[in-house]
Amino acid sequence: MGGAPAASAGGRCERPPLIPRVAASQGGGMLGKGVVGGGGGTKAPKPSFVSYVRPEEIHTNEKEVTEKEVTLHLLPGEQLLCEASTVLKCVQEDSCQRGIYGRLVCTDFKIAFLGDDESALDNDETQFKNKVIGENDITLHCVDQIYGVFDEKKKTLFGQLKKYPEKLIIHCKDLRVFHFCLRYTKEEEVKRIVSGIIHHTQAPKLLKRLFLFSYATAAQNHTATDPKNHAVMFDTLQDWCWELERTKGNMKYKAVSVNEGYKVCERLPAYFVVPTPLPEEDVPRFHGHGIPIWCWSCHSGCALLKMSALPKEQDDGVLQIQKNFLDGIYKTIHRPPYEIVKTEDLSSNFLSLQEIQTAYSKFKQLFLIDNSTEFWDTDIKWFSLLESSSWLDIIRRCLKKAIEVIECLEAQNMNVLLLEENASDLCCLVSSLVQVMMDPHCRTRFGFQSLVQKEWIVGGHCFLDRCNHLRQSDKEEVPVFLLFLDCVWQLVHQHPPAFEFTETYLTVLSDSLYIPIFSTFFFNSPHQKDANMPRWKRRDLCLFWQGREGQGAQSKPLNLLTVWDWSVQFEPKAQTLLKNPLYVEKPKLDKGQRKGTHFKHQRQLSLPLTQSKSSPKRGFFREETDHLIKNLLGKRISKLINSSEELQDNFREFYDSWRSKPPNYHGLLLPHIEGPEIKVWAQRYLRWIPEAQILGGGRVATLSKLLETMEEVQRLQEKIEERHHSQEALQAEAASLLRTSARLSSLFPFALLQRHSSKPVLPTSGWKALGDEEDLAKREDEFVDLGDV
Amino acid sequence: MWWGGRGQSFNVTPQKEEPEMGLSGPKSVQGSGMPEPRSHQLGSCLASGCLPGEQILAWAPGVRKGLEPELPGTLICSNLRVTFQPCGWQRSEETPLSSEYDFSLANIGRLEAVNGLSRVQLLRPGSLLKFIPEEILIHGQDFRLLRVGFEAGGLEPQAFQSETKDGMSFLLQVTMAIVQARAQNSQAQQYAGITLSKAGQSSGSRKPPIPLLETSEDWEIERKKQGARGWRVSTVNERFDVATSLPRYFWVPNRTLDSEVRRAFGHFHQSRGPRLSWHHPGGSDLLRCGGFYTASDPNKDDIRVVESMFQAGHSDIVLVDTMDELPSLADVQLAHLRLRALCLPDSSVAEDKWLSALDGTRWLDYVRSCLRKASDISVLVTSRVRSVVLQERGDRDFNGLLSSLVQLLSAPEARTLLGFQSLVQREWVAAGHPFLTRLGGTGASEEAPVFLLFLDCVWQLLQQSPAEFEFSEFFLLALHDSVRVPDTLTFLRDTPWERGKQSGQFNTYTQVYTAGYSQPPAGNSVNPQLSVWDWDLRYSKEQILQFHNLGYDPEHCPDSWLPRQQPSFMVPGPPSSVWLFSRGALTPLNQLCPWRDSPSLLAVSSRWLPRPAISSESLADQEWGLPSHWGACPLPPGLLLPGYLGPQIRLWRRCYLRGRPEVQMGLSAPTISGLQAELAHLQELLRKWTPRISPEDHSKKRNPNTIMSQSR
Repeated sequence: MGGAPAASAGGRCERPPLIPRVAASQGGGMLGKGVVGGGGGTKAPKPSFVSYVRPEEIHTNEKEVTEKEVTLHLLPGEQLLCEASTVLKCVQEDSCQRGIYGRLVCTDFKIAFLGDDESALDNDETQFKNKVIGENDITLHCVDQIYGVFDEKKKTLFGQLKKYPEKLIIHCKDLRVFHFCLRYTKEEEVKRIVSGIIHHTQAPKLLKRLFLFSYATAAQNHTATDPKNHAVMFDTLQDWCWELERTKGNMKYKAVSVNEGYKVCERLPAYFVVPTPLPEEDVPRFHGHGIPIWCWSCHSGCALLKMSALPKEQDDGVLQIQKNFLDGIYKTIHRPPYEIVKTEDLSSNFLSLQEIQTAYSKFKQLFLIDNSTEFWDTDIKWFSLLESSSWLDIIRRCLKKAIEVIECLEAQNMNVLLLEENASDLCCLVSSLVQVMMDPHCRTRFGFQSLVQKEWIVGGHCFLDRCNHLRQSDKEEVPVFLLFLDCVWQLVHQHPPAFEFTETYLTVLSDSLYIPIFSTFFFNSPHQKDANMPRWKRRDLCLFWQGREGQGAQSKPLNLLTVWDWSVQFEPKAQTLLKNPLYVEKPKLDKGQRKGTHFKHQRQLSLPLTQSKSSPKRGFFREETDHLIKNLLGKRISKLINSSEELQDNFREFYDSWRSKPPNYHGLLLPHIEGPEIKVWAQRYLRWIPEAQILGGGRVATLSKLLETMEEVQRLQEKIEERHHSQEALQAEAASLLRTSARLSSLFPFALLQRHSSKPVLPTSGWKALGDEEDLAKREDEFVDLGDV
Repeated sequence: MWWGGRGQSFNVTPQKEEPEMGLSGPKSVQGSGMPEPRSHQLGSCLASGCLPGEQILAWAPGVRKGLEPELPGTLICSNLRVTFQPCGWQRSEETPLSSEYDFSLANIGRLEAVNGLSRVQLLRPGSLLKFIPEEILIHGQDFRLLRVGFEAGGLEPQAFQSETKDGMSFLLQVTMAIVQARAQNSQAQQYAGITLSKAGQSSGSRKPPIPLLETSEDWEIERKKQGARGWRVSTVNERFDVATSLPRYFWVPNRTLDSEVRRAFGHFHQSRGPRLSWHHPGGSDLLRCGGFYTASDPNKDDIRVVESMFQAGHSDIVLVDTMDELPSLADVQLAHLRLRALCLPDSSVAEDKWLSALDGTRWLDYVRSCLRKASDISVLVTSRVRSVVLQERGDRDFNGLLSSLVQLLSAPEARTLLGFQSLVQREWVAAGHPFLTRLGGTGASEEAPVFLLFLDCVWQLLQQSPAEFEFSEFFLLALHDSVRVPDTLTFLRDTPWERGKQSGQFNTYTQVYTAGYSQPPAGNSVNPQLSVWDWDLRYSKEQILQFHNLGYDPEHCPDSWLPRQQPSFMVPGPPSSVWLFSRGALTPLNQLCPWRDSPSLLAVSSRWLPRPAISSESLADQEWGLPSHWGACPLPPGLLLPGYLGPQIRLWRRCYLRGRPEVQMGLSAPTISGLQAELAHLQELLRKWTPRISPEDHSKKRNPNTIMSQSR
């Protein structure tokens, strides 16, 4: 089942949305008695808003709990800090509040509620269960805001408290909201737990005190799988060479090890890639600033580069030096074989981090609701509220920027240089978006993980600051990575068959940002990670680096888990939900053929501009001359003239022409960015709101039906294969195909859906009749679905 | 002459004389500038697709744009429709109309001519066209868009000559012809000839694809199917003398005599008294009626009859004020207009303001309130055995919408293809929804696309629970588009009476009403049986296949419906409780009928305390008690409750954004249809190779023909 989390979350609330109940109303259930047949025989008067559960209920509850004591499950290295008993967790069930009695504990890893929650035993729930974080667990890093309720008034809690609240409301960064009622808890316990939680979640922390390290030390013997199985880690020179090789960038770019041991710059990774003619001694001049660093090469040879801007200086002399330096750099990369470079300054005329921060904090408020009445109230102006947060608009702008960059790379054959102050925020975002859209490899799980590793982790995105893991500065907290995931989600949502991973994958990835047992998102740079390995002195680090040169790591470094090892969090069964069953794998060509034709083939498919294209508003000849002028002059002046109008035109033309063709899932993939097309990532943002779910509905229903059919097809195919193994040559071929792709069994039938592949993969299929493109196009007019038939 | 003047300016003046009508097939009209020699071959080609009585007024070669690939072809304007006929495309005889290339004149909402940067909107009286258009855009009221470009290179030199000679080009002609034809067309006009050609194919009496509910047998069959034992088919309106807006037959309680029915109905607005709409298998009855006619002064007996009709043998009556919390007709119309403006391809709304503009149309809000109300009513109907009466003043708009939605929510039968069509036929067509007026056909001020609002609601349900419906989005889309195609009378008349009269159903009556324009020639009476449900008029077999929702889970098919065993409440006695459902809550009523001094026979028991007037408790909670109860026992089988929260209501993009092809392109469609085809193929293979096949391999294969039209 693909859309799983929605389904599993659906398990919690078995019922469709209802109008929430606010106030107590005696006699509310009167009508309910009787005819239907004793619906809710044990019905009690509705509890009021404040006292959620009446004393009798607590008593009955208590008995049950004492029978089933839930034990606290601690991870290796995890320590219990404080706890409180007789805490009521208030559960919003559609319209009424229900209380669950239990124990609230705070460890150095998480806040956990241990109660007898029968809903946890639900079948659906267990299917997609996180092994590390339970349903009632909140990692300390996941806590967003803590509120206390004093005499029915909600106040933010921070620092030292004079008075302790009767109710604790915790808003989480993954948008869960917990209500803990402390009314029946002993006073000293309340004091202890509230101040404990506030202290451990809100006080600034030292990096060394991250749970990550205690966990890693304690779980030393945990056999972590080799991270290389999950992603290219880009922490060795070979990894970069491999990437250069893969993208055919090795002609013009080279991997350098000038920063080995972080001698030059702590911001940059140990290894990175620069244009071949760039003298290596230039790198240290401004501590790595002003150096064009290679991100990715596209099939045409154009490359995406990034550069961190030189520090702003007042002194004319210094400025002059900087200018000369930059001129030198530009000269090297402007000369053939390099294409013209277009500079995209992301820090001046694009989004500001501030904007992203405000937009997201507004946006998330739409989903962080204390009770469903709030949700209900916002319904009428839902779209307006959504728009006023401008989060969706920011997503649109990011996608648009990425398309603009792609247009330069793809249509105009220019190199694009992304410029940003530290080249570690929006640079990461734009360059990874460009790669997701242009490089089908990045749409596989392995490729995507490698991409995140390359652009974000090794690329030096300051996860520690941007996620505010250490609670040192709220100002620095900007959800840039989340914005990236949301942008990717838009793509996944619009073109599901193009991605090997599902939206569920993106959702759990976004949740993993706050789980401090993975090292991936808990450092500002690779240097910081290496420098903070416990019991590692600087000297050891040098030894380590030398060791790497020779034999590889002789002294085993501390075993930090990467998030890419999904088996740490999920059972294999649950992991299937991260994998998109609709993903159409690239048709495999013969091995000999493959190397030669791979990229040519791709180019052919993804190059959107054909000469014959004529825009409706222009005469034949004018267009021709336009092209001519563009070609003649364009190269020279494009850098000088940056007329935004022309840019807009080019962009539009490129975009329209790409869209006028059916999407090729293994070529260039652009998102739709019109007003109605940017959507809310419902799975992530709405998943904890029971009212927003549709039982047995939505995409999941379609998907499960789809999977069912797919299994059926597969079963029949296997049957056919069995019976006619020897009889027909035709079948033998199909069978062998089946066997080679046995690993991807559920995906197998979809290879047939490739109407662009020159020959039908399975001769038995009925596709040929529909393969005629014109025929298809004709029918697409009214019945868009037919296109995929 | 149609238009005159030298120079480049052409003024459209309304044409005085009626174009000659005949069955002689197409001919070029008045020979104005249509070069005969060239059109010889083409003309005959064009003629092949013509309906009897259709005349081609003008045509011009052009290229269809906007949708890829660009299609070269011919733009044809006839007195019935505008068609873009691609090169080499032949109309099949089976489907004389095309859902793809035809634009009925009534559907044309806006016509724009584009030349370079200038853009002129035509179709206004006295529109001027000052240039020869490079492209014309025809905006359909059904959100479709036809863009035809004319390239100078595409015209033969000959055309240029004739242009200079006659001072007008084909393009101009065709453009102006469209304007002209549109101005003269009235929506009430039907493609008169179509039924002839169709009727010719099947000799003798043709069985309609679904019962049209024009005979008492149809009603009787339907009544039995619903298991409504306490009801009978009343023939009191057989001659439409009770009300012309009512169907000839309807269901009334067994014990009520026809004479009583006639008397009782007189006390309702437009004589639309309480009738059974649907009998819930659990025992409840859903009734609908018009508002009380307050000026009348019924006697004691009449009140007794009215009350017993409301009561329908149940002890519990809930009167639902239909209009409460729902938009007015004017609201619906305004919202639809706004929505159409927003969805225009050149809508000036900036992308980042789109969502609030969408909110501003209020359309989705109205969809939401309809769903919410329908959900509440289906809870009322399902939760206990009672009689639920929908009361709307006119009883012709929202009563139909709600009663259909309630049935869709509570009866799996209504979610099948046939069931849904019968539902629409019964609750909308037969019940007298004034389609013509509501869709703007009569020019009356009461235009309001209530039916389209209903279709949007159904689409919301469909996308929320894709496994529960046998029909697909495309079926809804087809129905949506059919509303403005004047091929059958289904949507072309306001009342069953007019529909019946037009189709010559009751020839014994003198025909008072004569349609001036489309009076079929004597001897060729229109086949009365053709209805919108004859999909093969407009849709090809492949398209009809698409009407099936492949995600439909056969488990949800009607067989699995197990009616609860309910004691029969057919013993007439005073009802124990009468409620008014309004603002999401039930309030007790002291008397059912509003008339002064009515001797109430209803002993309303006083032990029912009045509920707080405004309760935020959901009705489902009130009805079923605490939610904890639901944990153990989920919803009654077959009942769907729709989601109607802000994020759950979506925009029907495939319908409303069709004019913006860029939005449509590349929409990743579910690939399930492909898999199904593959599955069928593999099964075929297996069957061929193995004579006996294990039953589990056998997944139900549906034959579209048997389902869509039983006649063939």
